[in-house]
Amino acid sequence: MPSRRRAKPEAAQQTAARPGEPASATPNELDAQRRARRTGTLIATPGALYLLIFFMVPLGLITVYSFATRTSTGRTSLSGWNLDSYERIADDVILGIIARSAWLAFITTVLCLIVAYPFAYYLATRPPRLRARLLVLVMIPFWTNGLVRVFAIRFLLGSNGPASALSEAMGFGTFRILFTPTAVVLGMVYGFLTFMVLPLYVALERMDWRLVEAARDLYASGAKAFWKVTVPLTRSGIVAGCVLVFVPSFGSYVVPEILGGAKTLLIGSYVARQFQAARNWPLGAALSVLVIVAMLVAVAVNQRNSANAERTGANSP
Amino acid sequence: MSVDTATSGAPVGVPAVEMHGISKRFGDVVAVDKVDLEIGDGEFFALLGPSGCGKTTTLRMIAGLDIPSEGRLAIFGEEVASWPPDRRPVNTVFQAYALFSHMTVAQNIAFGLQMRGIRGAEADRQVAEATALVRLEGMEQRRPSQLSGGQQQRVALARALVNHPKVLLLDEPLGALDLKLRQEMQTELKALQREVGITFIFVTHDQEEALAMSDRVGVMSEGRLLQVGTPTQVYEHPANRFVADFIGRTNLLEGVVEGRTALRLDAGAVVAVETDLAAGTPAALSVRPEQVRLHGRGEAPQGAPCLDGVIGDATYLGHAFVYTVSMGAPGDGATTITVRAETGSAALAVGEPVSVSWSPATTTVVAD
Repeated sequence: MPSRRRAKPEAAQQTAARPGEPASATPNELDAQRRARRTGTLIATPGALYLLIFFMVPLGLITVYSFATRTSTGRTSLSGWNLDSYERIADDVILGIIARSAWLAFITTVLCLIVAYPFAYYLATRPPRLRARLLVLVMIPFWTNGLVRVFAIRFLLGSNGPASALSEAMGFGTFRILFTPTAVVLGMVYGFLTFMVLPLYVALERMDWRLVEAARDLYASGAKAFWKVTVPLTRSGIVAGCVLVFVPSFGSYVVPEILGGAKTLLIGSYVARQFQAARNWPLGAALSVLVIVAMLVAVAVNQRNSANAERTGANSP
Repeated sequence: MSVDTATSGAPVGVPAVEMHGISKRFGDVVAVDKVDLEIGDGEFFALLGPSGCGKTTTLRMIAGLDIPSEGRLAIFGEEVASWPPDRRPVNTVFQAYALFSHMTVAQNIAFGLQMRGIRGAEADRQVAEATALVRLEGMEQRRPSQLSGGQQQRVALARALVNHPKVLLLDEPLGALDLKLRQEMQTELKALQREVGITFIFVTHDQEEALAMSDRVGVMSEGRLLQVGTPTQVYEHPANRFVADFIGRTNLLEGVVEGRTALRLDAGAVVAVETDLAAGTPAALSVRPEQVRLHGRGEAPQGAPCLDGVIGDATYLGHAFVYTVSMGAPGDGATTITVRAETGSAALAVGEPVSVSWSPATTTVVAD
């Protein structure tokens, strides 16, 4: 019988003592702890420095710039701090772009979930060896150059491409989908599907399938057992996948640029435009800060979700 | 080997569970091999065997979680072999309980009712009843992870019993509990079964547990059902060598059948027995350690089967001594016999020459 043993649910009862932090330590133990801490700091230093220089510093600069002023020549003046750029976000055009970005990201996320869940389910229920091979297949597009993939889709959907040829052959006329929001969503679903599949796969793979058997034993049909047991137990994977797809979809730049054309201006492209053609760095910076804050909120949601899952014993990736 | 059910409180009327030639194969592995079994209404039945013997697969086939490769399976006269689990009037207490970790205790217990469309006040009443039955009042709003092993076990019981199944299946329900709790729960489960009057089928690898709790025991090994009978029957009259060895401790004295009434032991003696085995069949005499009497060399009573040997090893258990008596030349090939003697008599020293004897009525001839 293929049954994974479930970890005994004792973990939840251990609250007080954490490993490495005994309530009272002898001088010897304190000494050892101090040395361990020093080693830890040393190991973490290169990574911390890298993040500081290439992530924290630019992030700080962006934040500073978002409060700066654009001079009439398009230069950024660092004197005279103000909230003008943030106030400009309330502009209808920009709000429209944000709303459109959020809407397309939302549709992308939902489609990814619908496509990925059955697929992850299939993966997780295969024999372990086959599972490993299928996972590699999932990862292959992920390792392929993103730009190449998007241009491939552009060719596929274009009016001279195979999709259009097929449509014409079947008598539906020319296929006009490229440079529409639909094309952008299709591209983003393809681009970010892996981010949805992997957390779902992990959650399903870790799930205790005996709980599904228990549900079936307790008069649940296959479908009911799925909605009442499988879905709630993989909730953390669902939330993680949605966050991982929504965040990059919302700020997506490459896909809408190539597949969306001018008619579907999304926030990623709009921000890029501020830094380039429009030469309005403060506005671009303010919008960037907004996107980052939105992302942090999403990550916080995800964190809380995993913490909850841990507390209630559900599986979390 | 005759599987003795005629005189063993075997089921009368429509059996709760009836299996005919039930087999289950997983690929090339035969997990259950042509099992025939009838379990009566209201019985407390134990399926006993070492791990991997097919007992859990048998249970899962009754539950519908595994579908038999062949054979007939009926629950209260209804052919269910190919039915999905949700259509069968049985519920299971799973090994390690399989409680829904994302639900409270009350939600766990209410699950089966909910699935059958029982909701609202009626469901609340039945959940309260089941909660009281397993004495879990006050725990309703807790999560399974906040309960002790014993409490989780009670939730699993309540979650199954609330549905008033016709048969309750229990897969090593006490396996995850510590010894003291396990003994308490044995008594409690037995009392619970009498109270609800439901047929319990109980899978265990612990022979003491099986003997202590069940009305009848089915002993399984390598997918086959070797013997079905009351605890007394399987202990005192094991059907074959495996059952004799698996249930309790025993001495298997190897020999050859010499006719319907005699067995020639390799250790030398010819003992009077009753057996259906053909003359010349290799067989063993199963003698329980507590049935063996120790005597000074040559002091054994006349008439009883008797062997001479020397004390090879002595273990003090507090309430008893366990001696190993070696027959014949020491070293490899020597027959040994384990003797359990009450404390009180003087301890015997290793190397002391002794005689052992037993009453023929307490022994059984077993073959493979």
